Amino acid sequence: MSALLEVDGLEVDYGTARALDGADLRVAAGEAVGVVGESGSGKSTLGAAIGRLLPRQAVVAAGTVRVAGEPVLDLPPAALRRLRRQRLGFVFQDPIASLDPTMKVGAQLRLVLRAHGRESPGGRDGGRGGGDVAFHLERVRLDDPRVAAAYPHQLSGGMAQRVAIALAMAASPELLVADEPTASLDSQVREEVLNVVFALARQAGTSIVWLSHDLPAVARRCDRVAVMYAGRVVESGPAADVLGDPVHPYTAALARSAPAVAVPGVRLEPVPGRPPVLTGPSPGCAFAPRCPFAEDRCATERPEPVRVGAKDVLCHRAAELEVIA
Amino acid sequence: MKETAGEKETAGVKGVKGRRPRQRLDPLSLTGLGCLLLLVLVALGSLVHAGGDPDAIVGPRLRPPGPGWWLGTDNLGRSMLPRVMEGVGTTLLLSSAAVLVTAALSAGFGILAGYRGGYLNELIMRVVELLYSFPAIVLAILVAAVAGPGQLAAVASIVLVTIPLMTRLVRAAAVAVAERDYVTAAAISGAGLPRILGRHVLPNVAGTIAVQGTYALSVGISVEGGLSFLGFGVQPPQASLGVLIRQGGTYMMAAPWLIIGPGVVLVLAILSINVLGDGLRDRFEPRETRSLI
Amino acid sequence: MRLLLWWAGRALSSAVTLLGISVLIFAALRLMPGGFAETILGPFATPAQKAELAARYGLDQSVFAQYGHWLAAVGTGDFGTSMISRQPVAAELWARLPVTGRLTLFAVAAAVLAGVPLGVLTALRARPGGGGAAGRLLSGLGVSVPEFALGSLVVFVVSRYGLQTSGYLLPAAVLSIFAISATARTTRDAVLNVLVEPHVTAAVARGETPWFIVRHHILRNAAGPVLTLTATITAYLLGGALIVEYLFNLPGIGSYVVQAVGRRDYAVVQAGVLLAATVFIVMNVLIDLLVGLVDPRLGRRA
Repeated sequence: MSALLEVDGLEVDYGTARALDGADLRVAAGEAVGVVGESGSGKSTLGAAIGRLLPRQAVVAAGTVRVAGEPVLDLPPAALRRLRRQRLGFVFQDPIASLDPTMKVGAQLRLVLRAHGRESPGGRDGGRGGGDVAFHLERVRLDDPRVAAAYPHQLSGGMAQRVAIALAMAASPELLVADEPTASLDSQVREEVLNVVFALARQAGTSIVWLSHDLPAVARRCDRVAVMYAGRVVESGPAADVLGDPVHPYTAALARSAPAVAVPGVRLEPVPGRPPVLTGPSPGCAFAPRCPFAEDRCATERPEPVRVGAKDVLCHRAAELEVIA
Repeated sequence: MKETAGEKETAGVKGVKGRRPRQRLDPLSLTGLGCLLLLVLVALGSLVHAGGDPDAIVGPRLRPPGPGWWLGTDNLGRSMLPRVMEGVGTTLLLSSAAVLVTAALSAGFGILAGYRGGYLNELIMRVVELLYSFPAIVLAILVAAVAGPGQLAAVASIVLVTIPLMTRLVRAAAVAVAERDYVTAAAISGAGLPRILGRHVLPNVAGTIAVQGTYALSVGISVEGGLSFLGFGVQPPQASLGVLIRQGGTYMMAAPWLIIGPGVVLVLAILSINVLGDGLRDRFEPRETRSLI
Repeated sequence: MRLLLWWAGRALSSAVTLLGISVLIFAALRLMPGGFAETILGPFATPAQKAELAARYGLDQSVFAQYGHWLAAVGTGDFGTSMISRQPVAAELWARLPVTGRLTLFAVAAAVLAGVPLGVLTALRARPGGGGAAGRLLSGLGVSVPEFALGSLVVFVVSRYGLQTSGYLLPAAVLSIFAISATARTTRDAVLNVLVEPHVTAAVARGETPWFIVRHHILRNAAGPVLTLTATITAYLLGGALIVEYLFNLPGIGSYVVQAVGRRDYAVVQAGVLLAATVFIVMNVLIDLLVGLVDPRLGRRA
C-alpha cells in the first residue's frame, strides 16, 4: 500500500548550509502526523519541499518526494500546479501576511473558488457572492458576515488564520501542511484554531502534516509523530508511543524538558549543548556530541532507521535503548 | 555521563561553525567600479596634463581624430583629448564634492529627524519636501539665477537636488534602528546621545548612505552636465563634460567628434556609477528571490 | 469616507508646501543681484516705472507686506511682464502650454505603457546572482543617458542624414527613454518586493498560474510604489522637457524659461519655476488619492 506522502532521503542545501540531511516521512491517507523539531531542525524546509515551495537559493541534493505517487520534485510546471491545486493545501505561520492585503477577505475566497470551478452557477446572491463564500467561512467557524467584507489587516490573528485555513481547504485537498500555524497566536485562540483545523480535516478526510516545536501538544492531537533533529527524522511512530515511551535519546530529552510535563518540585532538565549547523552531510549521528549514550561509531557512521515495536528510530543503539528506557 | 556530554558538544560533528560565504559584487558591478576607477585615473592625469595642455593650440581647427590629436581638434585648434580629460576631472570633482556635502548634511539631518522625532522631524521633513517638489534642472536654474552661473552654482544645485531623497532614506533607516531593542537598552543604561548615534545608529545607516550616495553621484553628474550645457554651470574656458558638449554642439555638423568624445565619456561615467550602485545595493540589502513556478 | 479625510489632510499639507515654495521663490527673487525693481523690470527701467512698481509691490513696506502683495498678484494670475517681450508672462505661458503638455504627457504615457510591463518581466526573470542582466543593463543604460546628451546625438543624426522628422516625435522619444527606463527599474523593484511576500507564496502553494498571480495579486500590491514613481517621473520630465525643447527648438514653456534665464528675464523665470512646482505638487496629491484607493492599508488614519 503506498502512502499519500512519501519522503525518502531528502537532502536540501541553502548554499553551504544544509537544512535537510536525509529526511524520511510517510503519511497515509486520512492520517494526522505531527512533525516536531526545534528551530533549525529542518521542519519548515521539509514542509515547503512537499509542495516544492523552496526559495530559489535552495538546492535539492538528493532524495525524493512523492504525493499520491507523483514525484513532486520532477514534475513539469503545469503538472506541479495541478498537483498543488488538487491535492495539497498549505497554512503558514503568519496569518495576516499570508492573505493579500489589497483584497477583501470575501473577494479572495471568491477568487480561489472561481479558480477551482467550485462556485455554483447561481451562487452570486446578495452581490457579495454570498452562497459559497459564506459556506466556506462557516466551515471555519467565522459566522459573522462582516468578515467577508473586511480587509486582512482588520482581522485578528486567529480570524485571519481561519480565513487562511478556509482558503487552503477550499479545494478539498488530500494533504494539508500546516507550518506552525499557531505560533503567533494567543494560547486560547490557539486551541480554537487547532480545533477548526482538525475537525475540518477529519470531516473532509484530509491528511494533516503539522509542523511544530511543541511535542506534547502534537502528541495529543495527532495519530503519528515524527521528531526531527539536524535535518533528519530521528524517531517516528504512533503519537502516544513516541511521547510516552521514547527510544531515541533526543526524543527522550525533549519529552523530559517540555514545560507541559513538568512536575512541581522536580527540576526540568534542558538538553545540554546546541544543535549543529551543518555544511554538508553529517558524517555520523548529528546528536552524538550531546548524547549520553554515544559510542565511538556514533560519530563516524550514519545511523539507519531501526524498527522498534511500532516506531522507526534513527539510532545505532535503538534496540538496547528501548529496553533501558 | 551528562557532564562529558556537555563538553563534547562541538566535537565530532563536521561543520559546526558553518561560515557564511563572503559576499562579493557581481561581475557587472565590478566592471562599473573598474570603469569608474579608470575615469578617476584620467581625471588625475589631467591635473598633470598627461594628455596635453587643454588650452594649448596644437594644430589646425576642426580636424578629425588622428596622430597628434587623438580625439580631434576643436574650433580653436585645441586637442580634444586633454580637454575631455579636463572635463572628466572637473565634472567628477564638482559632483563628488557636492555628494560629500550632501552625505554629511543628510546623515546629520536624517539621523536627527529619525531618532529624535518631534517637531524637529517635522521641520526637517517639510524643508526636504519643499526642495523635492522642484524638478532637478529647474531647481538648478533657480540656484544659478540667484548665485550667478559658475562652479558654485553647480555644486550648490547638486547638493540641493540630492539632499531630499537621501535625507528621507537616512531618516527611515534611523527610525528603523531607533525602534530596535538594543538601542533602547543602550539608552536606558545611560549611554549618551553621541555614543548611541555613533555606535548604533550610524553603522546601520552607513549602508544606505553608501548606496544612495552612489546614485546621488550619478544624479550630480547629470545635473552638472545639464546646467553647464545650458550655460549656467561651469563657465569656459574651464571645461566640464557639459560645457564641452555645449561647445561641440555649435560645430556638430562639421565635426561630430566634438560631442561624441565627451558624450560617450559622460554616459560611461553615469552608467558605471549606476551599475555600481545597483551592485552595492544588492550587496548591502540583499533580497530573496522567488519563482512563481 | 476615511480615505477622503486622510486625503484631505494630505491635500492641505501640500497646500502648505506650496506656500513654502512660494516663499522660497520670493526669497530667491529678492536675493538676485540687481535689486528687486531691476529684476522685474530690467536694467532699462525708467524712474517712473520703478515708482509704479514700488507702489504696486509695496517696496517701501516691510518684507512681509511685500510678500503678501506678491502672493496676491501671483494668486490672481499676474506673473508680471516679460522684460524682453513686454507681454504679460501669464499669457505667454498659456500660449506655450500645449507644446510642453503634449511632450510630457506622451513621455508619461510611454513610461507607463512600456515601462511597467518591462519592469514586471525583468522582475519575474530575476535570479539570485544576477539573472535578467540584459534587462538590467538596458534599463540602466536608459537612465544613464541625460537628455541633453541623447538629444544632441539625435539632433546630430537627424541633421547629418537629413531625416524628416514630424515636430514632436523625436523630442518626445528622447524624453521617453529615461521615463521608460526609470519606470521599468522601479516597477522591477516593487514587483521583487511583492514576490517574496508570504501571500504570494500562499498563492503559488494553491497552484495558481504565474499569470493569474501577477494579474490578481502582484499588480495591485506593486501599484503603490509605481504610482508614486509616476509623480516623481513627471517632475523629472518637466525638467527634461526644458532641455529637449531648447535642443529641438520647440516653442514650449521650457525653452521660454531657458531663454529667459539667459536674458535675465526673471519675471519669466519666477513664473516657470512656480508653475513647475505647482504641477508636481498637484500631481502628487492626485497620485496620493489613487494610491489610497489601491492599497487599503494606507487609507486609514495612523
